[in-house]
Amino acid sequence: MSEAQDFVGREYDAGFVTDIESDTLPPGLNEDVIRHISVKKGEPDWLLHWRLQAFEHWQTMESPDWAHLNIAPIDYQSISYFSAPKSPKDAPQSLDEVDPKLLETYAKLGIPLREHAALAGVAVDAVFDSVSVATTFKGKLKDAGVIFCPISEAVRDYPELVQQYLGSVVPTSDNFFAALNSAVFTDGSFVFIPKGVRCPMELSTYFRINASNTGQFERTLIIAEERSYVSYLEGCTAPMRDENQLHAAVVELVVLEDAQIKYSTVQNWYPGDENGVGGIYNFVTKRAECRGARAKVSWTQVETGSAITWKYPSCVLLGESSVGEFYSVALTANCQQADTGTKMIHIGKNSRSTIISKGISAGRGQQSYRGLVRIGKQADHARNYTQCDSLILGDQCGAHTFPYIEVKNATATVEHEATTSKIGEDQLFYCMQRGISAEDAVGLIVNGFCKDVFKELPMEFAVEANRLMEVSLEGAVG
Amino acid sequence: MSLDAELLHKAVAQLHGSSVHHDLRQRAVEDLLTQGFPTTRDEHWKYSDCSPLLASLGARLYHDSHPVDDVEMARLVDVESYTLHFVDGVWDKERSDLPAGITVTSYTETTDLFAPDEESVLSQGFTSLNGALASGGVMVDVAEGLSLDRPLAMMHSSSGKVAHVRHQVRVGQASEVVLIEHFSGEGAHSGLTNVVTALHLSEGARVAHYRLQQEGLLQAHIGRLAVKQQRDSHYCSHLLTLGAAWSRVDVVISLADIGANCQLNGLYLLSGRQHGDHHIQIDHLAPHCQSDTHYRGVLDGRARAVFNGKVVVHKGAVKSHSTQSNANLLLSANAEVDTKPELEIYNDDVKCAHGSTTGRLDQQQLFYLQSRGLSESEARQLLTLAFVGEVMTRMNEPALRAYVQKGCFAKLPHPLDMNMEGFL
Repeated sequence: MSEAQDFVGREYDAGFVTDIESDTLPPGLNEDVIRHISVKKGEPDWLLHWRLQAFEHWQTMESPDWAHLNIAPIDYQSISYFSAPKSPKDAPQSLDEVDPKLLETYAKLGIPLREHAALAGVAVDAVFDSVSVATTFKGKLKDAGVIFCPISEAVRDYPELVQQYLGSVVPTSDNFFAALNSAVFTDGSFVFIPKGVRCPMELSTYFRINASNTGQFERTLIIAEERSYVSYLEGCTAPMRDENQLHAAVVELVVLEDAQIKYSTVQNWYPGDENGVGGIYNFVTKRAECRGARAKVSWTQVETGSAITWKYPSCVLLGESSVGEFYSVALTANCQQADTGTKMIHIGKNSRSTIISKGISAGRGQQSYRGLVRIGKQADHARNYTQCDSLILGDQCGAHTFPYIEVKNATATVEHEATTSKIGEDQLFYCMQRGISAEDAVGLIVNGFCKDVFKELPMEFAVEANRLMEVSLEGAVG
Repeated sequence: MSLDAELLHKAVAQLHGSSVHHDLRQRAVEDLLTQGFPTTRDEHWKYSDCSPLLASLGARLYHDSHPVDDVEMARLVDVESYTLHFVDGVWDKERSDLPAGITVTSYTETTDLFAPDEESVLSQGFTSLNGALASGGVMVDVAEGLSLDRPLAMMHSSSGKVAHVRHQVRVGQASEVVLIEHFSGEGAHSGLTNVVTALHLSEGARVAHYRLQQEGLLQAHIGRLAVKQQRDSHYCSHLLTLGAAWSRVDVVISLADIGANCQLNGLYLLSGRQHGDHHIQIDHLAPHCQSDTHYRGVLDGRARAVFNGKVVVHKGAVKSHSTQSNANLLLSANAEVDTKPELEIYNDDVKCAHGSTTGRLDQQQLFYLQSRGLSESEARQLLTLAFVGEVMTRMNEPALRAYVQKGCFAKLPHPLDMNMEGFL
């Protein structure tokens, strides 16, 4: 198994720091910091007020401790809450104006922005630290009537839309991390798909955490009006670093009648080294509201990175016959910890939801699926199917399942299934008997295990996801 | 209502017992004072609010001075057994008949106390309250190598008082016994049965345990069943919850040595405004252990059921096998089920699965039966019986199965005219 050893010893591929001068605030959080962020962003008064309200509420809240996670206390005053690449005022108008070092960063990640955008037909709203630097395919989208821009731009250009929807799905007081995000969020994406429009291309954002010691607080807001459709891709990698970095994002999706949003994530932030030193703390609040009849939301996520993942993409199924889906592959290796899952809140009649969660635990990783399926009193004939499987690779790791199922309506049908096991010796033996090495066999079996989720990913992501699994896994299997 | 420390101290001071009891009580009082009674903020009490119960019982929780009403002694019709009778938790020595090989001592007289894994988080306040105030209950010792020809039945009748009962049952090496714990009583006022049963299975012991709760609908029932299993022991539990307005049962199993295995079957039929909560925790502590949990519930009226099953496979417990299933049938629009089947696994060489379903009767099956000439209510009845029958078929003692079957039939809505004799 020397090959395996090589893989175990392998360092994080995307671990490098691009040296760009950052306009960074000193660490600490108080009203002045929030005012400073607001001024820097040139925000209107209502938004500053909104931020301050969130901050006020946040101060009364306590960090949640119910998750199956072991987190060292976080000192929120030691974090810098604003970091923007140089000269934000004269932001680049096209790719040519973008700092070449930045583009180099993407290239190192294997994402040639121009090629990627041109070949794959994907508009990339690339987020580097906190300020967007390049947005492509704007024209084409504009023709279709689609708005896809950094949220700070949206605040400036479409204030009514932002004011109407911001915080309407995840209120500022929702939870500790959402409140923090509301107070200090610096950027993120805003997407608006007008009535009857099918977004002509898949929208994509690359997130990356760069300057040392800065937390990143994205705020994403996607609105799909009646009969519209959009597929949104989110992918992340981060440079190697020894200090834990805090990341608390909020994603809000609003889906109106007959509309559909497909939200896909590949998350590969720095997970810390094999001793659990460093790595990203990832506390994310993601929620979608299906407000109209037959609205549909589909969350697909591949979570291989981060030292700590605390993430529960949820669907509030308000509309009649609305549909919520959650497909997830989560991998914890080394000392990674993940407490992730979903919430399906059925309120509308005939609402349906599907949950497919695949957990893979290796090394000393600890992984939990935590899900809630709630069928409200009015949700006649609601339907839920949940399947969460765990694969355990190694005797030092853990895999846990905490599903909450609350049914208040007799016409509902709710099913939950879960299994936990290691890779079958017979399967391994069969593959090896056919001349496939142990390592490849494990790869094959794991790929098969994840197939139900991967097939939900858009093409570009499916390739990336497979590559990620290979890199993250092969070394972990003995 | 919060804890009344003064009343608690006063009540404890009035109790008798040896110094062993005294120590246990002091410890329990301290625990209770630090943790208090559970609230819905506690994870394990999220769906069961005990505060109305505490409020309605008030000072009776610590010392119930109601006179004992005359209660009819419960009987298990058509089941032959050796019987211990309890009225409000107090053992009626005179009326008990016991076979050779079984020693019974009243709880306050025994000095041989073994504590039922008090560290476990599940029951919290009420187990401590029981530890502090238990005055009823018995210590049962089953001799080594004994194979009992009839079940040993512990029959509890409640007159509507608050009773804190503590049983300890120790089953000797390679013994085989069928144990029945039966709770009944239709008191004129609402009381509480707070019972803690600790069971130790020695090496190779085999126990089939029927815990049948058929208390009156004014009663509240809080039970804790803690089982510790030694090497190659086999424990099979059949738990039935039909009665009590508000009930909560915690089952805590610890598979402590190689090859121990347990099978937990449960059935809860609730109607009206009944609230029934079942919490199970199974700890796989040693290699080659197996656990199977199968719980089913039928809910009618505005009843609410809570199920929480947790299997923990600890480090080193290789070759563990565990299955868990919980199925719920909702018969009315206002019934509610909150279920949470959990797995916590710290090991790779395991096979664990759990499943949970909640729904109503299958419309197609109903239609099929009606197309064969059954009325709608008959068809409903038949399908409901088939649903609960899944659990009953696992009961190996025919007389007891028939008894449970009868109890369930009576509880279901619109009892059927058909002759269901030999239904299963």
